[in-house]
Amino acid sequence: MLLITALAIQGCKVDEEFEGPSLTDLYGSFAILEDFDITDRSVNFSENETTTFTATFNKNVSWKLEIKGLSSGAVKEITGFSSQLDATNALWNGTTTVLPMFRPEECAVELTFTNEADTLRDTLNVTGGRVNTGFLLSDFETGFPSGWNTFVQSGANMTFIVQNNNSAAQGARYYDMGGTVGWDWLKGLINIPATAYGSDHFELPSNPNGLFFNVMIYKPEEINNALVLFQFKEDDNLDGTYNTANEDLFAVEVAPSVNGWSLISVNYADMVTLVNGQPAAPIGNGIREPHKLKEVSVLFLANPTSGYSQSYMDYLIFTQNGPLIP
Amino acid sequence: MNKHLLYLITIALFAIPNVHSAQTTPKKFTFTGAARGYFFGDRLDQDLAIEDSITIPRLNSGHVMADLGLNIRPNKNMEILGMVRVRNDYGGFWGSGVTFDIRQLYVKGVIGGVVRYQLGDINYRLTRYTFWNNDQEFLQNTPTIFKQQFDVVNYDHFHNLDNSWRQQGGAAEWGLVFNQFIEEIEFHTFATRVRASNNSSINDRIFTGGNVQIMQSKFLQLGWNYVNLIDVEGTSRNNTLFRNPVSSFSAKGNWDNATWDATAEAEVGTSRTRFLNDEEAPENNGSFSEVRALFKHKKSGLFARGTYKRVDSDFRSPGAQTKRLNFTGVPTAFQRTGNDQSLRPLTMLDLMRESSMYNMQLQPYLMTFLPKYDNITPFGDATPNRQGVIVEAGWKTEKGLSVEVMHANLQETRGEGTPEARKFTRNQVNVKWMRDEISKALPRRAAVELSLRQDQTNRAGTEFYRGVELTTTVASLGLEFELYEKLDFIAGWQFIEYDGFDYTAVRNNYAEIFNFSEYNVKGKENMKAAGLRYRFSEKSFLSAQVNMFDFDDADVNTAHYAVRQFMMLYQINF
Repeated sequence: MLLITALAIQGCKVDEEFEGPSLTDLYGSFAILEDFDITDRSVNFSENETTTFTATFNKNVSWKLEIKGLSSGAVKEITGFSSQLDATNALWNGTTTVLPMFRPEECAVELTFTNEADTLRDTLNVTGGRVNTGFLLSDFETGFPSGWNTFVQSGANMTFIVQNNNSAAQGARYYDMGGTVGWDWLKGLINIPATAYGSDHFELPSNPNGLFFNVMIYKPEEINNALVLFQFKEDDNLDGTYNTANEDLFAVEVAPSVNGWSLISVNYADMVTLVNGQPAAPIGNGIREPHKLKEVSVLFLANPTSGYSQSYMDYLIFTQNGPLIP
Repeated sequence: MNKHLLYLITIALFAIPNVHSAQTTPKKFTFTGAARGYFFGDRLDQDLAIEDSITIPRLNSGHVMADLGLNIRPNKNMEILGMVRVRNDYGGFWGSGVTFDIRQLYVKGVIGGVVRYQLGDINYRLTRYTFWNNDQEFLQNTPTIFKQQFDVVNYDHFHNLDNSWRQQGGAAEWGLVFNQFIEEIEFHTFATRVRASNNSSINDRIFTGGNVQIMQSKFLQLGWNYVNLIDVEGTSRNNTLFRNPVSSFSAKGNWDNATWDATAEAEVGTSRTRFLNDEEAPENNGSFSEVRALFKHKKSGLFARGTYKRVDSDFRSPGAQTKRLNFTGVPTAFQRTGNDQSLRPLTMLDLMRESSMYNMQLQPYLMTFLPKYDNITPFGDATPNRQGVIVEAGWKTEKGLSVEVMHANLQETRGEGTPEARKFTRNQVNVKWMRDEISKALPRRAAVELSLRQDQTNRAGTEFYRGVELTTTVASLGLEFELYEKLDFIAGWQFIEYDGFDYTAVRNNYAEIFNFSEYNVKGKENMKAAGLRYRFSEKSFLSAQVNMFDFDDADVNTAHYAVRQFMMLYQINF
């Protein structure tokens, strides 16, 4: 009995950590202890500046920050579950959640909370958009790149041109591909040779792992038949030319399915040879060798019986160590 | 050292043939089984502002059944039991409503006079923290008149009086007898199949384990117990495999003299709960410890017992925490009531007789429970997240009187949703007086049972969330009086009142708490019954009773209703 008494006195300790979510968080009434604020209301992301959103609440709460570009329509969302917004959880470096990318523009900021009625609003000014590192093929900001060449079928309403309006995924301009060709899948193509960049082969690393090809593709709401085929032609024997008979041609086929702009990022190491859209045996040595890339081709395709087709593309860029973070 | 070991082994080998070798010569064929006729006539009375024109107020149901078992002993070392159940619902003539089931099938025997084995249906238990079939709510102190119905559902679902679980598999045991230092070592092992694979996404699940019992002397016994609930790899395409080993060490010491009898018991153990090949699954390690001391004064019959226990919040023991009652079920009698036909909540009356609510298989998670009925020990002694002291005292006389009082003062080992722990208090009084013969002048059997239990759960609140305060009171009174030779008048009353508030944990598939729901209760249930019982023998009786049940709950749609039940039970065991 003495032992039991001793155990009862010594043994009945309660763990410091509790089990499950905090009842305070679940049931406590919500209050804002420190007002919502922005550390830098005029931020230039092109100079690697960042801005931080701050606020303090009386309990942990599930919150969502939404920053919307008033000119571009770009949206950045930051979410969290905490009692405080600070540099650890609410720092913005100019990235985008929903394309297009932010450009120099006024932005509206909105902070909302799950299960709470409060909505906090503010504004900030982006004076310079985010600059991404990588091998940029083109963002079309200076028009159709020199050294690129195109083939466009003589169909109806053919629009293989650089557009300059407020609809670009990045910057102001993008490339518009569209038209009706009743006798062929191919509507038009663009060849992007390495020579357009002043060398025989694209200056890319030899290791395909970690190298990503990125492109932003736009699907108009009423168009459901577009296919965009990207071909990567390697000069396996480094003789200065690409031979279709015995050198590798890897491909990425994109069938835009979501209305608006989407980012397509493909690891070079995962690219395959495609024949009629289906994976097939490599034509050359079968080794992904980005440093031997001779030419990139963009083929705009659609079923000839399906009528008019259209798609936009913007910001073709190779990035290393991961996909593009727009 | 080697000589000593050789000596021990030699003793053991010579001892083996003597272990469990005491065999009698039983009959080659014996019949065993049970039979019963069971009838309910129910009438539902609702206290509603607008009369319920939808619910049918009267329900009659019942059946007659026989469990017919044949016990075959081909030789002195083997026994085979096969038992079939033939059941016919009243009104189910000409084959409709008639069922034939295999109720029990096993083979058991002794190999070489040393190893006892049993294959097929086995009833097994180890300790209260490893493998134990805890009584369902209200069973322990319910009056005899209500226990008749509990006994029927428990018999049908193999919930045995010894708290063993009915399993299908195999078990073996053997022992070694020594004549120095240690009296005996017993080895017990078993493996049962808990769940069968569907050959697609559900793996075979087995429950296996055993224990080693060392009887050092009449003063000291030591034990090691181990169980594990295991998903068998490769029995489906699902490569997530559940594992829940529980091991414990137990010790028991006895001491007595002419006046006192003292026993000290302890058990400590650990559990480990894992889902192999599931990266999202947590791995929980829990432990428990319990120390008990019992003192009895031989002459007066007075006794006192003290218990200290600590069961971690992460301690998981499917064999000891699985509940008999599945509270997610719905009653079959008067399932929906009222003009809006809302589901009727489960009540004390349903717990007593609803066969469909009873669970027969071990579950890998903590099952749902109703805090209003038991918020302190919903999973028996192995209820996780409890620590504290239980003090009991009692008095048993040779004249059939027994009085027991109990006070439990427990709290959580880890707060739920807050660092603050819930505190639990239970006070209970049981008084029983039973005589086979009241006096020489009045040679009649009589019994009176009285029980009162009050549970209290508390936790302070803050400005952000409510405090917890939940009270449950259970009272019962039972009477038995032999009116005429073997004809008894039986009566009983059982009352439950619950009032208060708590937060109940909402758990995910890994039994982690991810939310809380507010639990408000305020109501009472009142059950009164009276009837007659005729005892044909100790194993058979005929009982007829009228039961009046009232339910009143402020927080459910079916605010107040009553069920008038007529029950007739004819029970024979042979």
